[in-house]
Amino acid sequence: MMENRYIRCPYCGSVNYNKDEVIYCRNCHNKIGSKVEANLHTAWAMLVTAVIFYIIANIYPILVIDKFGVTSQNTIIGGVIALWDEGSYPIALIIFFASVFVPLLKFFLILYILTNYKKPKKGSKKVDQAKLYHFTEIIGPWSMIDVFVVSILATVVHFGNIKITAGIGATAFVLMVFFTMLSAMSIDIRLIKEGASGN
Amino acid sequence: MDENLDNLVICSKCHTVHKKIDLPYKKVAKCAVCGNKLYSDVENAFYKAVSYSVTALILFVVANLYPIIKVYIGSNQSILTIPSMVATLFDENFYVVGSIVLVVIFIAPLSVIFSYLALWVLTYFKIYKNFSKHIISFLMVSRNWAMVDIFGVSILVALVKLFGYAQIQPGVSAYALVLFILVDLIFLKSIKPVELWTYFSRAYDGK
Ligand SMILES: [Zn+2]
Ligand SMILES: [Zn+2]
Repeated sequence: MMENRYIRCPYCGSVNYNKDEVIYCRNCHNKIGSKVEANLHTAWAMLVTAVIFYIIANIYPILVIDKFGVTSQNTIIGGVIALWDEGSYPIALIIFFASVFVPLLKFFLILYILTNYKKPKKGSKKVDQAKLYHFTEIIGPWSMIDVFVVSILATVVHFGNIKITAGIGATAFVLMVFFTMLSAMSIDIRLIKEGASGN
Repeated sequence: MDENLDNLVICSKCHTVHKKIDLPYKKVAKCAVCGNKLYSDVENAFYKAVSYSVTALILFVVANLYPIIKVYIGSNQSILTIPSMVATLFDENFYVVGSIVLVVIFIAPLSVIFSYLALWVLTYFKIYKNFSKHIISFLMVSRNWAMVDIFGVSILVALVKLFGYAQIQPGVSAYALVLFILVDLIFLKSIKPVELWTYFSRAYDGK
């Protein structure tokens, strides 16, 4: 029970007293927790925006190739399939994991936290939630790989007869990454750590 | 307050509360529940980060000045540098992508380096205590946005995609970039917020 008396500031890592109200970190003065309900609205809004951009990013091309005046376009999934057909299995898997799977995993985790925070849970399950959240925080930025790859290709393949440019999908994708980060950041740390104490 | 919260540390991974102890030189404290690193010998970690941020700065400048790769397709030749990549994105009107790329592989890593250096100067002279606090907060945020390591992996992926169509040669900056990523991961990104704040309070209050 001792654990719930304290809360870790996500900005500076210092220990604060936990209260059921707005908490400002005693060290860096950032807001650690606010009224939980208000925070949830922001988190939901950001999540929905991120999902919309995710859908747009997958429908529209992320890459446009202009070869002797003939244009062809690649979506994220199209790019993965092309790599797979060429036999670049590891790279196809990396791109699939980073661009398709990681964002979905983050969406479902945030959704899970937002819909389950009220239900009382057994200690072990909540610890897993904290660990899973920590894990997605670490792998989250890796979803930027495909955007970097497109930017690199657009820079080096830029000639008169063959030219690669980024597509609208790339813009939607970086906005998706951005809003997912905002959504995760607006989740009150108390919703995640609550049961880390056991019961 | 009936107890000093500065003597406690909470695991960033599983949120278990621990009591801080003074660590011997070069020792690391780990979480009793999940084994995650809590903090290490503070002075040592900070001075390592500062001295390597000078190294990182030099490597970063080199990595930006010279080509990372040279690409030959038929009689055409092109080069990749970080500035040329951002410029291409802006030229093609991809302002959103260009801005985010600029932040995550240029502005954020430089912010991390300069924050370490500024913090070192300020704590050395024990001046501008409040400003130092802001620098630490800024450092932590910048560090989350610095993605040069991910950019490095992306170059390898791009090379695989170009393989077969183009001839590729690594440039001087390729080596500088690899070294920068190593220094960044081992020394600049591994220091924990708790270590910085402990160093901070020792530097100003002598605790
Ligand atoms: Zn704080
Ligand atoms: Zn732990």
